[in-house]
Amino acid sequence: MRLSLLTWAVVISLPILHFLLHVGLGLGPWAPDLLTVGLLVLAREVRPSVAAGAGFVFGLLEDAFSILAFGTNTVALTVVGILGARSRDLFVGESLVFLVSYLALGVWLRYALQWLVSGSALRGPAAELLFQAPLAAVYSAGVGILILRVSGIWREERAR
Amino acid sequence: MPPFEPDKIDKADRRDVVFPILFIVLSFLLLFLPVPAQQRVSAVLRGSVLLPFIWTQESVHQARVRTQDMASLQARFDTAVAVVSAQRTLVEENERLRSLLGLRERSGLTYVPASATRPGTPGSEGMFLLDVGSDDGVVVNAPVIVAEGLVGVIREVGPRTALAMDWTHPDFRVSVMTVDGGVFGVAEPRAGAFRGGDRLILNSIPFHTPVEPGAVVVTSGVQGAVYPRGIMVGTIADLAEEDASDAGWRRSYWLEPAAVPAGATHVLVLTGQVEGGGASVGDLWVTIDTLAVLENLGGAAPEGETFDQVPAATESGNAASGDPPEDEPDTTGPDGNPAGIPDAPAPEQP
Repeated sequence: MRLSLLTWAVVISLPILHFLLHVGLGLGPWAPDLLTVGLLVLAREVRPSVAAGAGFVFGLLEDAFSILAFGTNTVALTVVGILGARSRDLFVGESLVFLVSYLALGVWLRYALQWLVSGSALRGPAAELLFQAPLAAVYSAGVGILILRVSGIWREERAR
Repeated sequence: MPPFEPDKIDKADRRDVVFPILFIVLSFLLLFLPVPAQQRVSAVLRGSVLLPFIWTQESVHQARVRTQDMASLQARFDTAVAVVSAQRTLVEENERLRSLLGLRERSGLTYVPASATRPGTPGSEGMFLLDVGSDDGVVVNAPVIVAEGLVGVIREVGPRTALAMDWTHPDFRVSVMTVDGGVFGVAEPRAGAFRGGDRLILNSIPFHTPVEPGAVVVTSGVQGAVYPRGIMVGTIADLAEEDASDAGWRRSYWLEPAAVPAGATHVLVLTGQVEGGGASVGDLWVTIDTLAVLENLGGAAPEGETFDQVPAATESGNAASGDPPEDEPDTTGPDGNPAGIPDAPAPEQP
């Protein structure tokens, strides 16, 4: 399984863009979760072991900004990476609906896992998981689709 | 047609089982790493891979500050000048009275201005980054304040950056008192239904000591406290709960926080007298007996006589900075008032 140069470029750019928006420009919750989107895009293209490794590294980078919840992002993104790679065996699709659902569900799963792994003292209210997280997931998926469309990855996949 | 190689496929399949499990185990191990090790890992990442983003953040913030409304800055400057000029005579009077009483100068607190930005990543809620570090004199547990009051506390310090948590963080606690010194308690955050709805609650108030809504609450600086006394925390909003389970021995009150962390982009980090925390300021706090001694002495220490006989009441820590020598004890409160006289309501502001 070999990734095209374009896919690599997008997969590397998405985490850079994520940290640029969140940390560099300080947009915080207004910025989409492009780190997870990047991981999910990568996970569809590589083996589960590589996806797990990528999730681990991405999570570690995200955890560098959390103190008492250190490790929660790493666990969440590692699991999401593995599930994303495994999803290829279960679901095949390149339609817009499938891609949006895949990305949105993946981002929401990441929030859910992170919420679960955080201790009860640190985790936010459950309402956050049921209302805010789905909105954030759809928003991230929307921006992700836009990036994939503009970069040409999505069209490339449809043409295959 | 490529040859069928079952061994090769088996090996790849095994790898796809072993490595994911390995990474999951590793990630769970991170959760249980000792906190210093976790801090080391995150500090290394922030100082290497993530450093360009932190630099970008600093540059963007500086640019933002520079382009702020000049009229607003001018108005603030004019106000500050007016306040300073009005208080000049008070300063002189204070110095004269101090010299009459034979008291030493009150040791002031020093601050470092800093820009605060939030990573906004999951798990970093209640945390913010500062563009000052150990090179600027910032230490762990240094209070972070704004003009309105206490925002948070420093948790990790690098050479040029620091990571702080604000009062909305679940781990945040501050020892507080009402400004008249009548009620002492611990303020801690209570999560709201959503982020942004977090509130402060004042806990462990004795049942027989009601607190009126609107009462100003400041840091108490009691022994072992991180924060020096007198930093504004908030005002009492209303009664939160009464503990009826233990025969009603305590009450809790909602606090209207003085400072809103989300709006704090430019903050001050307290650098002077932080080591020892409250003890350094509390060291100056003595009992009300001092007042009687002062009255008996006619308001001034007789020549050759000091106030050695006045016992220090609360704190025994010896502050590293600005403490008088042992043969020259002080009789002032933390705000320079004779002991026993409560602080002025205004918090210590730079």
